[in-house]
Amino acid sequence: MTVTTAPTKTPPAARVVDAVKVYGSGDTGVRALDGVSVDFPAGRFTAIMGPSGSGKSTLMHCAAGLDTLTEGASYIGDTDLGSLDDRRLTLLRRDRVGFVFQAFNLVPTLTVEENIRLPLDLAGGRGDPEWIDALIDVVGLRDRLRHRPAELSGGQQQRVAVARAFAGRPDVVFADEPTGNLDSRSGGEVLGLLGRTVRRTARTVVMVTHDPVSAAHADEVVFLADGRLVDRMENPTADRVLDRMKAFEVPSQTDVPSRSETPSRTEVPS
Amino acid sequence: MNASLRLSVNSLRAHKRRFAGTFLAVFLGVAFLAGTLVMGDTLRAGFDTMFGNATGGTDAVVRSAEAITTPGESQGVREPVTTDLVSTVEQVPGVAAAVPDIQGAGQLVGANGEPIGGQGPPTLAGNWIDDPKLNPYELAEGRAPKRSGEVVVNRGTAEKGDLKIGDTTVLRTPDPVEVTVVGLATFGGEDGMAQVTFTGMTLADAEKYLTARPGEASSIQVRAGPGVGQRELVDRLSRVLPRGVEAITGQESTEENTDMISSQFLSVFTTFLLVFSGVALLVATFSIHNTFAIVVAQRTRENALLRALGASRRQVTASTLTEASVVAGAASAAGIAGGIGVAAGLQALFPAIGFPFPEGDLVISTLSMLLPLAVGVVVCLGSALLPALRAGRTAPLAALRETAVDQSGASRVRAVIGAGLAALAVSLTLTGVLVSPSLWLAAAGAVLALVAFVVLGPVASTTAVRVLGGPLARLRGVTGSLARRNALRSPGRTAATASALMIGVAVVSLFTVFGASLKATMDQTVSRSFAGDVAVSTPSFGAGGSGLSPRLAGALQALPEVDTAVGLGRGVAEVDGKGRALTVADPIALERTFDLGTVRGSLRGLGTDGIAITRTEAEKQGLTTGDKARLTFTDGEKDDFTVRAVYGRSELAGDYVITRAAWAPHRTQDSDTVVAVSFKDGVSTGAGKAAVEKVAARYGHPEVQTRDEYAQSSAAGIDMMLSLVYALLALAVLIALLGIANTLTLAIHERTRELGLLRAVGQTRSQLRAMVRWESVLVAAFGTIGGLTLGAFLGWVLVRASDGTSDSTFAFAVPPLQLTVVAMVGLTAGALAGLRPARRAARLDVLRAIATE
Repeated sequence: MTVTTAPTKTPPAARVVDAVKVYGSGDTGVRALDGVSVDFPAGRFTAIMGPSGSGKSTLMHCAAGLDTLTEGASYIGDTDLGSLDDRRLTLLRRDRVGFVFQAFNLVPTLTVEENIRLPLDLAGGRGDPEWIDALIDVVGLRDRLRHRPAELSGGQQQRVAVARAFAGRPDVVFADEPTGNLDSRSGGEVLGLLGRTVRRTARTVVMVTHDPVSAAHADEVVFLADGRLVDRMENPTADRVLDRMKAFEVPSQTDVPSRSETPSRTEVPS
Repeated sequence: MNASLRLSVNSLRAHKRRFAGTFLAVFLGVAFLAGTLVMGDTLRAGFDTMFGNATGGTDAVVRSAEAITTPGESQGVREPVTTDLVSTVEQVPGVAAAVPDIQGAGQLVGANGEPIGGQGPPTLAGNWIDDPKLNPYELAEGRAPKRSGEVVVNRGTAEKGDLKIGDTTVLRTPDPVEVTVVGLATFGGEDGMAQVTFTGMTLADAEKYLTARPGEASSIQVRAGPGVGQRELVDRLSRVLPRGVEAITGQESTEENTDMISSQFLSVFTTFLLVFSGVALLVATFSIHNTFAIVVAQRTRENALLRALGASRRQVTASTLTEASVVAGAASAAGIAGGIGVAAGLQALFPAIGFPFPEGDLVISTLSMLLPLAVGVVVCLGSALLPALRAGRTAPLAALRETAVDQSGASRVRAVIGAGLAALAVSLTLTGVLVSPSLWLAAAGAVLALVAFVVLGPVASTTAVRVLGGPLARLRGVTGSLARRNALRSPGRTAATASALMIGVAVVSLFTVFGASLKATMDQTVSRSFAGDVAVSTPSFGAGGSGLSPRLAGALQALPEVDTAVGLGRGVAEVDGKGRALTVADPIALERTFDLGTVRGSLRGLGTDGIAITRTEAEKQGLTTGDKARLTFTDGEKDDFTVRAVYGRSELAGDYVITRAAWAPHRTQDSDTVVAVSFKDGVSTGAGKAAVEKVAARYGHPEVQTRDEYAQSSAAGIDMMLSLVYALLALAVLIALLGIANTLTLAIHERTRELGLLRAVGQTRSQLRAMVRWESVLVAAFGTIGGLTLGAFLGWVLVRASDGTSDSTFAFAVPPLQLTVVAMVGLTAGALAGLRPARRAARLDVLRAIATE
């Protein structure tokens, strides 16, 4: 299935309006998002790009209901996330949102199949067996269903995560640097899988990435810098994205630390 | 401060929470140990002062030299001295005063009609000594008894029985004597000598009711004139005393009394508290080991980095041990302070529950401070040693690996060693129990069994949790299934966590099983060897109570409903040089109301020089019918008795039986311990019991019990013991609970990202809480079941070993109800232990959890 209508005319699967997110307060406060309004159209694969500290992860977390906005509003479909308490937010994530994280996507004690079914099991429902079955074929893991995550390669683990994200037929799947820990070949497989799933099943994917090659798999790229939406690009290619990104590397660029930035692994906690 | 020390200190500061459980475990163990020691010293000093105050005016005590001590008794029985001696003593130069002191058993009946005391400490009656310096009791209110029937009662007893001056009540001596309280007394400034009850009568009354013959007294209390020392007084007295009578100084007498209290009461009390703290520290060992094992596992990367940067194994090990010693030192020091608090609390609490704790400051000796400190530090460091060594062995490469989670599985070596130990334990125990009965073999086997359980724990935990968690996964869906798999993740850790609870539960179920077996044994004894219909007895325990009037049996015999009524009296004598308890009874009636088993010879013609002996005693002494045994009585008289009968069963009838006629010349205060009654044919138990009760009412209201009731009341002391054991359970469970909570908290810390993921994909807070709680319950269930199994096995060993090594036969019984309660307590502890970690886990910020490296 291909998207034929203009993105602005389909109702968005998720959107944020005048989103402001401030970490800390007063003089030490950091504005990670500074008045961002963006729609993520249904049935499309959107990539959020920007340099480190541009607020792209924060935008995704707030749009997905993992974090709350300081000002402004975020919606999944027509649901205003700001009006939900923790329990409803959890149920919303469970029933209408899917996630693929950079790493540590799977529960180590559960098998591949159980990991895929986890959101459905948590909801206590049976889900749609045919859909799950089809998903398993799409991600190509039928012979690994009884394995534990530790027995899979990184790429296989991320494919399981993709299957899990789509298992409950969510309105939107958020992926946070899903290929950040993978070599380019495995990364390509995972991204191809995401793209294929969007196009074949009319699902919506929003992906955060800093890699132009990854972004090129998307239908559209939105660019963030300093917590502001600075550009959008339809039908991106790696080269075009790279060119656009180079524009950000102006020396005057301030480096705003992002909260979700991962610390260096060998750091000794004191 | 060097680098590794700084690291330890920083780590402690950063993770105070992690060590809270360790701290508490050490703290509780040390506090109980220190509290016990301080309390023991304080009590001993208090009793010293109390006796010093009370008997300080007595300079010498004149009494018979020989005492006969039967097994299981701390104080011997002495023959009385004649009161004629008083005038002899008075004439000795340097004697200011000499008074006869009559002491016997006398139990007062309280205002509500129930006898006062009798559950352990002695219930005494004696003559009220008018010389205030010679009387250990001091008149606090009212006046001394002047007329017959007037008594002074120690204040504690009066309060317990709700008796006031002017009240009239009954004193069982054991014949009921109507008495009027005219005064209240104190002992050494306290309301009584511990919980001993004392009733002071006039000298004439005391002679009449408390001695077998007039003109006898237990001892003569002597006061010296000015300038005569105690030793000198005793020397002078010794010269005039007849053979068989001795004089000791007042100080020696006081020491004897203090020793008696110490051995009878204090040692039991302190032993119990020491067992308490022992169990607490043992359980603590597991908790501490676990905490450090987890902390070390969590810090693998950090330690690996240190190693990569050039830290030696020893430095890494030392830094963990430094942490342990800081925790140990702080917790032990706090524990000692807590121990002093425990002692002070008990000192304040005891008077409130009617136990006069001697006044005085707490006695805090160096030993009672240093010993618990040392024990606390050693336990803590010992438990942390293995984890510390493991920390030192961290490979530098571990810094680069992804996971830092403790994945320790159950190794095959462990399984083999554990199985070997278990086999050895079982064979040792079975040998000690069944083949060649030996308590030592059985005990060694029992200890080995405990070790085997601990070693096998990780091996067993996988299977056990899988089985226990099976229904959980089915019932609670993915939440249950996750809980089960989390509990399965690190079998070593699960087992160590459960071990703490296991030991607590094992100790308690051991005692529960043993107690139930003792009860079953008594039940069996009564139903086997008591052939009568009802038993009349005064329910008492230990040295208390005053027994039954010897005239009661005769009065009951006269009833038309009664076929036979036989009273069992108690006497003591040395049989061929060894102190023994004698049963004084009519042997023919005895045979009719008690099943004595097979009897060789005849009980009919014991007469005044015949004795009947149980088979086991006869075999031990090498006696058979027709042989002569030499009995030495308290009055020093030696008589040869002929063994006329050897009987099979001794549980109720005792090992030696002589007739009343044979005992009469040597008797002291007469009383029967029990009167067994059998009814004539056609008399219903109800009607017979009513008739017996009517007569018994005239003899101080002793209890009339049917066979079943009699069996139950014989076992009443066991329930008391068990309730103390349940207090022990509470402490052990508390520490185990801390251990489980601690492990869970650390595990949750370890799984932060996983929990964040679960929350992100839609696990609600309540599902997350349930998951953690169920994991806790599973671990607790494993520990509880292990403990019950081990406890039941050890209980069986104890019962069988006691059976094999003693004369009496023991029955083995498993009380399902009590054990179910123990199991429920264990599981509830698990659920409770999971509460806090579950709440903490649920509060987790999803985003931070995902972002945490």
